[in-house]
Amino acid sequence: MEGLADLAQKYFSVSVIKEVFPFLLKGALYTIIFSASSELIGIIVGLFTAIIRVTKVKVLSQIATIYVDIFRGTPLLMQIIFVYYALPYVGINLPAPAAGIVALSINSGAYVSEIFRAGIESIDKGQIEAARSLGMSYAQAMRYVVIPQTMKRVLPPLTNEFVALIKDSSLLSVIAISELLRTSKEMMTWKLNPSSLTAAALLYLAITVPLTRLVSYLENKMKKGDV
Amino acid sequence: MIRIVDLYKKFGSINVLNGVSLEVRKGDVLVIIGPSGSGKSTLLRCINLLEEPTSGKILLDGEDITGKKIDKNKVRQRIGMVFQSFNLFPNMTVIGNVTLALQKVLKMKPAEAKKAGTDLLTRVGLKDKIDAYPNQLSGGQKQRVAIARALAMNPEAILFDEVTSALDPELVKEVLDVMKDLAKSGMTMLVVTHEMGFAKEVGSHVIFMDEGKIIEDGLAEEIFDNPRHPRTKAFLDAVLS
Repeated sequence: MEGLADLAQKYFSVSVIKEVFPFLLKGALYTIIFSASSELIGIIVGLFTAIIRVTKVKVLSQIATIYVDIFRGTPLLMQIIFVYYALPYVGINLPAPAAGIVALSINSGAYVSEIFRAGIESIDKGQIEAARSLGMSYAQAMRYVVIPQTMKRVLPPLTNEFVALIKDSSLLSVIAISELLRTSKEMMTWKLNPSSLTAAALLYLAITVPLTRLVSYLENKMKKGDV
Repeated sequence: MIRIVDLYKKFGSINVLNGVSLEVRKGDVLVIIGPSGSGKSTLLRCINLLEEPTSGKILLDGEDITGKKIDKNKVRQRIGMVFQSFNLFPNMTVIGNVTLALQKVLKMKPAEAKKAGTDLLTRVGLKDKIDAYPNQLSGGQKQRVAIARALAMNPEAILFDEVTSALDPELVKEVLDVMKDLAKSGMTMLVVTHEMGFAKEVGSHVIFMDEGKIIEDGLAEEIFDNPRHPRTKAFLDAVLS
């Protein structure tokens, strides 16, 4: 019983949580800003590289494939460290927030590229043929017929990817960005009490659970054939 | 108008077309019949440049459209195609399907395209469905939309690739009726079909294909009433009995 009381005092102290909460909210805001902006850039990068890969543009599509392999195949933590600590040696000096967004964006871009590639390839070949038989160019067929249909199909996996990115953005704490996890660790040292971690966990859930619910909603809607 | 000279198409080591030559004049309704795998669909797909022939020529008004310098998009604007599986764009309404290429290829204004599209949909009897989505339509309605969509580009000829094969039997007639009207209006048509009644009634010429070759060709009544080649005879006996 003594153990439980200790646990409650250390990890679930309401008074500590109340005190650190305003700071954590600020950290959560950073987490949202960093992951949302990186997801947005990642979507642009991913869509672009996916189109290059499915159209099999020589050389370019090989470069895109290598990009995807590298950034899906190595730890994000390593990528963040490289962008922030290694790039200055070749003259690219990014402040921590910029380095963080660059690292998260190119990492998420690699995953998004795979999602879009699978999405584009899942569209029936007859769609392109019908568009082309009307005299549309390949680019027009992609832009007006294939990509709009892909967008609907990739929404659930894209949202899942976003949830993963929100959690992964906690790795930015290694380059001293005060996102949610780092803030809660600072609070822990300040209060000498880890309840701030519990509060941070709740805040992560408050962000991610609505998104995962949205995914199930979208998937259900698709099963019914509304999308 | 369309002349095909000694067309060959190989997929890997398989010869799908084995030297096909034919001629279609303006206003002709050429019906192509034959067992499955005989190369009928591949022939149409070559004419629409969806497949690249291995050798041979396809002449459109005397110009070889298989050449490297040909603008394929321009050729496809002149020759429309209707597919067995409809291939309507599921994310667009019926009118959206019909007007997309008008707006994006012919650069028509939305209002102008909508008017043209509505006229065509009225022609195929679907004026009341213009705002419906493809998944709200029956197969026969979908195929009529696909025909209107092909007609929108004002093509000089239309290729029909087994357009009634995916339909429930009771929906076949509404599609064939639209095609009959088109034939009457003087549209040049190349029709791959298993509908022998339609072939006989509407076809000006009939070609029987087997193993990538034209086995027999002639006027519709000749082929159906008096086939000369034993393979044509065997095929017709099998499908008509």
